[in-house]
Amino acid sequence: MTPAVRMTGITHRFGALAALEDVDFEVAVGSVHALVGENGAGKTTLMRVLYGALQPTEGALFVDEIERRWRNSADAISHHIGMVSQHYSIIHELTCLQNLVLGAEGSFLLPADEMKKRADHLAAKMGFEFDWDAEASGLSPSAAQKLEIVKLLWRDSRIMILDEPTAMLSPVDSDALYISLKQLASEGATVIVVTHRIPEVVQHCERVTILRGGKKVADLRVSETSAELLAELIVGHAVTRPAPTAPNPGAAVIEAQDLVVRGARKDHALKGATFTIHSGEVVGLAGVDGNGQRELFHALIGTLPIESGRLVFAGDEITTTRACTRLMEGMRLIPEDRHEEGVIQDWSLVDNATLGLQRIPPLTNGPWSDLVARRSLAQRVADRFKTKHSGLYKSMRSLSGGNQQRFVAARALELDPKLILAFQPTRGLDVDGTAQVYAEIRNACRNGAAALVASFDLDELLENCDRTLVINNGRVFEPLTGQERDRQAIGQLMVGAK
Amino acid sequence: MTEVEQLLINTIVLSAPLVLAALGGLISERSGVINIALEGVMLTAACITAIVGVATGSAVIGLAAGIGAGIVISLLHALFTQAFSIDHIVSGMAINALAIGGTNFMTKALSEHSQERVPVYPNWAYYTLALAATFWIGFYLKHTRGGLHLLAVGNDPDKSRQMGLDPIKVRYLALVGSGVLAGLAGVLIVSNAQSFSDQMTAGRGFIALAALILGGWRPWPALGACLLFGLFSALQLQMQGTRIMGADIPYDAWKALPYLVTIIALAGFLGRNRAPAGLGKP
Repeated sequence: MTPAVRMTGITHRFGALAALEDVDFEVAVGSVHALVGENGAGKTTLMRVLYGALQPTEGALFVDEIERRWRNSADAISHHIGMVSQHYSIIHELTCLQNLVLGAEGSFLLPADEMKKRADHLAAKMGFEFDWDAEASGLSPSAAQKLEIVKLLWRDSRIMILDEPTAMLSPVDSDALYISLKQLASEGATVIVVTHRIPEVVQHCERVTILRGGKKVADLRVSETSAELLAELIVGHAVTRPAPTAPNPGAAVIEAQDLVVRGARKDHALKGATFTIHSGEVVGLAGVDGNGQRELFHALIGTLPIESGRLVFAGDEITTTRACTRLMEGMRLIPEDRHEEGVIQDWSLVDNATLGLQRIPPLTNGPWSDLVARRSLAQRVADRFKTKHSGLYKSMRSLSGGNQQRFVAARALELDPKLILAFQPTRGLDVDGTAQVYAEIRNACRNGAAALVASFDLDELLENCDRTLVINNGRVFEPLTGQERDRQAIGQLMVGAK
Repeated sequence: MTEVEQLLINTIVLSAPLVLAALGGLISERSGVINIALEGVMLTAACITAIVGVATGSAVIGLAAGIGAGIVISLLHALFTQAFSIDHIVSGMAINALAIGGTNFMTKALSEHSQERVPVYPNWAYYTLALAATFWIGFYLKHTRGGLHLLAVGNDPDKSRQMGLDPIKVRYLALVGSGVLAGLAGVLIVSNAQSFSDQMTAGRGFIALAALILGGWRPWPALGACLLFGLFSALQLQMQGTRIMGADIPYDAWKALPYLVTIIALAGFLGRNRAPAGLGKP
């Protein structure tokens, strides 16, 4: 069988740094092929070469055994290669139809009715349905992912690249996505999935290519491998995760009673959240994106007002307390969008390390800011998760996304935290990074702190947390006794099936 | 002519340049380029039209020169913001300053004592053009490929790039269009007066921008907002010297009226609108 894609000897250098070194990559027509590896292993770089967004320093690319050299993405698109990036390429302010046709309109005039007809036809083929005139901002993550797939069909893509397609999906939606992908593959499409979720690879893909440090380490048939072997190949050594210690909860750290909070659209994003987290506990918050996680976190840290309900922190009511007081009392936040909400890009690492902690001794001493203490804090923060940086006084902007992430996560663990609120603390981190972050959160909790971790990856929560709460449509649910770690029961709570 | 008729005519005369300028601003800002340089584009176009028109004695060459000047200044803004990544506001301020100084210099150097009138086309031609442009841009944004690309780039240049668009190219083209329209606005202003005088645009580029914002970056509402500002300017002209409830209201107070309305509008008292999400993004 001829391969749909064959890349040989691909090398790509950013300056002196080689992101890819002599990588061979081959995908068979009609297969679902996984590409896995740690952060910085070169997965996305390799796919961007295939998609024409990057021109390799060396190497050749064959599509259907014809050598190609893309000048840009438009070139690759016109040869039926499509890519869905991790954060989707859906523009919120445009309608679904406008998003669908963008960049592949065909004619100068846009015949709305004709386009809708073809769009409906393509969507129906996959069993999807869309309101084409609705603004895309209203799409749920799974609906957005579906629209991305229809976009690929609209462009007659035969080689489909999906970068972390399930990062924002619930388990049920992820399974549905793979069913769609397999259907496409059976109809002759070639699907390449870039992912870090090993269970998905084992369950749904046919072949898997593993990259490490910019080099290919293996290319295997999935049936001949196992989750453990994959994990080992990805990291380069056996992964040992500290098993979650049996919870030995202490006093209640945070008690929420019937919290009602309005979201950005002034609707009740949180409709009554009641839960308690005790010292020593790492508690997961599972849920599909957009069910009130964001508002809950904002309400807990004090950046959204609580309309009704009560919030008690370490025995004191803090329902109306300001965010700065809560931070001083020991709350720490790892915000969802680290680059926007977590750091100030133009400030140095030292200033960013202090951000949010500036009122807490030893950083502050009466009216004075202690510059030495700030510097040593920044050093600790940078060292904790081995943030790669070129100087503590360089601007945050000089750090890569993954390193900014490490930095922000490390900052939340500083100066004696009592409650760590982590919103997808491992988003964009590799296997090792994820294990480290959870180990350190666990460590802080051993010293009396508590943690609430929101993630869209249920497996990650089940693996790392003592118990898992579920948020669905603005309400928080606790799994029944005995089902605290039951993947299926929690999955059903997430979609409101119970 | 009754007072009401006079008021309506003045409204149209005063709002037409605003409409053209606001549409120029619309194309620019919908592509993601903040355009406070409208004022400078208009002023330069007005000045060049006057100088070239007088020198050649031809209305058409004057008009072409005005539009050409609009395009050049507008492309300068594109060059600053896109190629050199200068902050859009800073670039706009620089262009406005350059236009004030440059036009002052050019008129002094080339036509200081010229008493000749600038040859012009009749104003109704520009009014028709303004109306047609509003219609065309409304249609263009909604029903054409170019319009969709403009909206996409203005809302999210990065994602647009992923979809195979070239945001920089789209923005350069948008600023050409913006230069044509703002240039026309300048030509119309000089046509009204038939001679150029220093800083004759008098902040109307900013008022057009305010109308654009008030109209939510949509062509027909922007036209409506321009008419509103035109109405207040006309009212200002007509009310000067009249007494209200026996009080003698000074000339300057009336003169401030349109600007007052601008402030009230921009402060959001007349309804808030959503700006293109990619405004000012590289």
